Amino acid sequence: MSSETMALSPHAVETQSLAERLHGWATTVDHKRIGVMYIGFALIFLVIGGIEAIIMRIQLALPNNDFVSPQVFNRMFTMHGTTMIFFVAMPIMFGFGNYTVPLLVGTRDMAFPRLNAFSFWLTAFGALLMYFSFVGGFGLYGAGSAPDVGWFAYAPLTSKVFSPGHSSDFWSLGLIVSGFGSIGTSVNMITTIVCSRCPGMTLNKMPLFAWMNIVMSGMVLFAISPLTAAQIMISLDRYLGAHFFDTQAGGSAVIWMHFFWIFGHPEVYILIIPSFGFISEIVPVFSRKPIFGYPIMVGATVAIGFISFSVWAHHMFTVGMNSWGNTFFAITTMAVGVPTGIKIFNWLGTIWGGKIQFKTPMLFSLAFLFQFLIAGLTGIMLSSTPFNWQLSGSYFVVAHFHYVIVGGILFAVFGGFYYWYPKITGKMLSERLGKLHFWLFVIGFHLTFDFMHIPGLLGMPRRIYTYEAGRGWEIWNQIVSVGALFQGVAVLIFVFNMIWSYWKGKDAGCDPWDAWTLEWTTTSPPPEYNFATIPTVHSSRPLWDLKHPEDPDWKYE
Amino acid sequence: MSNEHRASNADRNGIVMPQPTAWPITLAFGFMLLMAGLVTNAAVSVLGAILMVAGCVGWFRDVLPHEKHVVIPCEIVEAVPAQTQRAQVKVFDLAPEHARAFLPITYYPISAGIKGGLAGSVAMAVLAVAYGVIKQGSIWYPINLLSAAIYSQSIQFGTESLKTFHLNSFLVACVIHLITSLLVGLLYGAMLPMIPRRPILLGGIIAPILWSGLLYTALGIINPLLDKKIDWLWFVISQFGFGIVAGLVVSRQDKVFTQQNIPFALRAGIEVPGAMRERIGGSSPDEDGRR
Ligand SMILES: [Cu+2]
Repeated sequence: MSSETMALSPHAVETQSLAERLHGWATTVDHKRIGVMYIGFALIFLVIGGIEAIIMRIQLALPNNDFVSPQVFNRMFTMHGTTMIFFVAMPIMFGFGNYTVPLLVGTRDMAFPRLNAFSFWLTAFGALLMYFSFVGGFGLYGAGSAPDVGWFAYAPLTSKVFSPGHSSDFWSLGLIVSGFGSIGTSVNMITTIVCSRCPGMTLNKMPLFAWMNIVMSGMVLFAISPLTAAQIMISLDRYLGAHFFDTQAGGSAVIWMHFFWIFGHPEVYILIIPSFGFISEIVPVFSRKPIFGYPIMVGATVAIGFISFSVWAHHMFTVGMNSWGNTFFAITTMAVGVPTGIKIFNWLGTIWGGKIQFKTPMLFSLAFLFQFLIAGLTGIMLSSTPFNWQLSGSYFVVAHFHYVIVGGILFAVFGGFYYWYPKITGKMLSERLGKLHFWLFVIGFHLTFDFMHIPGLLGMPRRIYTYEAGRGWEIWNQIVSVGALFQGVAVLIFVFNMIWSYWKGKDAGCDPWDAWTLEWTTTSPPPEYNFATIPTVHSSRPLWDLKHPEDPDWKYE
Repeated sequence: MSNEHRASNADRNGIVMPQPTAWPITLAFGFMLLMAGLVTNAAVSVLGAILMVAGCVGWFRDVLPHEKHVVIPCEIVEAVPAQTQRAQVKVFDLAPEHARAFLPITYYPISAGIKGGLAGSVAMAVLAVAYGVIKQGSIWYPINLLSAAIYSQSIQFGTESLKTFHLNSFLVACVIHLITSLLVGLLYGAMLPMIPRRPILLGGIIAPILWSGLLYTALGIINPLLDKKIDWLWFVISQFGFGIVAGLVVSRQDKVFTQQNIPFALRAGIEVPGAMRERIGGSSPDEDGRR
């Protein structure tokens, strides 16, 4: 062994200087370190996006409030939405996918390790470019301003007339850069899952998390492309007079809506499908039962992937499509509910009769099931066109999609954190702090987002800067804002837990949850090469087979 | 890319992994600067372009003509043995027919849900049309009302127009009615095995009451126009009609064993060489030997 190879061994890392370590992270092509960087990056932006949300909730807590100016408020809701979707939710999914998928399918790295690093850095630099707008929005010559056109940036708000300076440009350029990163990671994920599975892991023995990731990655390819195209069109409109979205010159503002939402709706599923993956890994382990209806789960996921590309115009019921158009999108939207409902039943079937262990990951998963069901029901309500006409653009819609994104996706992600943190760091997260985090967050979540439906029903529009007293909105907005504080405290406890447990946590060992998938066969954290010997599997629960040689799964699968 | 290559290179001295490289981050940073230059200063774009060229050249030299590797010393020679604190598997005598069973053991077949849904839909339609004739003097009234739930043309009908036949409304109402009935029927099929006792009471009466109550309180806010036109007594009656009939039909069907131990390909009746391992009897699945 030469000294050069020795320097790369995990034990030598401890003795490196800070500069060497940073250099190591910047040049790494290891899927685990890239996954950790994705997750760390997303957590930083989770805190930033959370601060933006808290600023909005302080502003809205009282009528006629002027905690921030209307201009700042506009920037806050634009950056909150953009940040949470593009720089928190997607990177965190890619991070967990990157970290766990190669381990789950029993390989040593992603198919394209260098592309993997490139894709992460594109996402990171895209975010930096967009946040640079806070100082560079007027081209470095003025006071600076961030994008303020809303996260879906409807035309003509993005035209030169309504958005002078460069704030909108930073928005579109930042998304172009990070969008290429998303496409790169998706190509990588698909190739890894298709080509690098370990011997014996046929498609129907692959962990569901890998299935969900391949479906999600396929969707990213088809959803991010129209978004990137539309961002380029905005830039052409703004600088080369292209008039794509300029109604005065024969363009169409509605075409922007179509472009945006043909990305925007599948995006919701791009985020929720990996969340389904988390739940599908966690629920069986803590119910001590294999997943119920594996092939149906796979089929339902693929069906969601396809159907969710046919529903985008349900965001546009109020633009004046004809009745058949509205009816078509109402029916397809309700149709997505079918495979989604099937999945919920399969998880319930998995839990049913199981020996349930109420550890923190399981608590988050159970809350996910309940909250995601409610989110789905308000979604079905909104898919009914006449109902939608009443409530489109109101706080009811805001409450609905936060129920999906926070109550569904974020809860699943928290579950994933408590589940895989021991694998990633080798230390257990504190269960006590975890339960405190869980209960505070549940309380905060329900205070905020249950009660947010009500001002919506009472007619409070989204993105409103402030409101008059005496409309009956005050009390609900106060409750919503108090809930936001609960959530903020809960997230701080979570962050504290991760830092504290990293130094002081219990040692995790290889397999703290007595689980069944391949990542738990290797050490925690895994060595750079994941597996000293590439494993061979015979069933979808390879560790069960090893632990119970007298009664292995492969006899029955 | 070269997993076989890497795997085969795993000898006693170490494992071959791709070499860390600074070119991807260089290329990404260059691309970001190229874009940033568009809204700051052209010099930024020029720097970005230079970095991109450098990044591409460096990256190509990393992989061409041969991918650069490092050898990671491999200390763990033997895989960590899998362990469990629950080595004992407790055997319940639930399904003697099966060597092994996953709960739930039996369930109603999908066809039971479909039959129940269809039967319920007929019961509900009969009740709804009866309401139309008795209370409103027209069988078309409830049909037009139903289609108004999603078809926006119907919502504009006046009271008189609601009582006449409209083809579009009729078609939309039929689709809604059939799909919803089938879905609720399937829901019954899926849920009834999990409900320990009195499935008809729960599915046929309690669930419709809860559902109608929810809708009754919410519809006034959600859709006041539709709310005014609904007769809630009849609404609840027709829900009962559906629930009881569908529940009865489903629970009359024979339960089947979940086909949990049978591979999907076998259930679907397709031959998928390669997708599943061929097995004879209960012998060990691979002849190349398990470690
Ligand atoms: Cu949507």
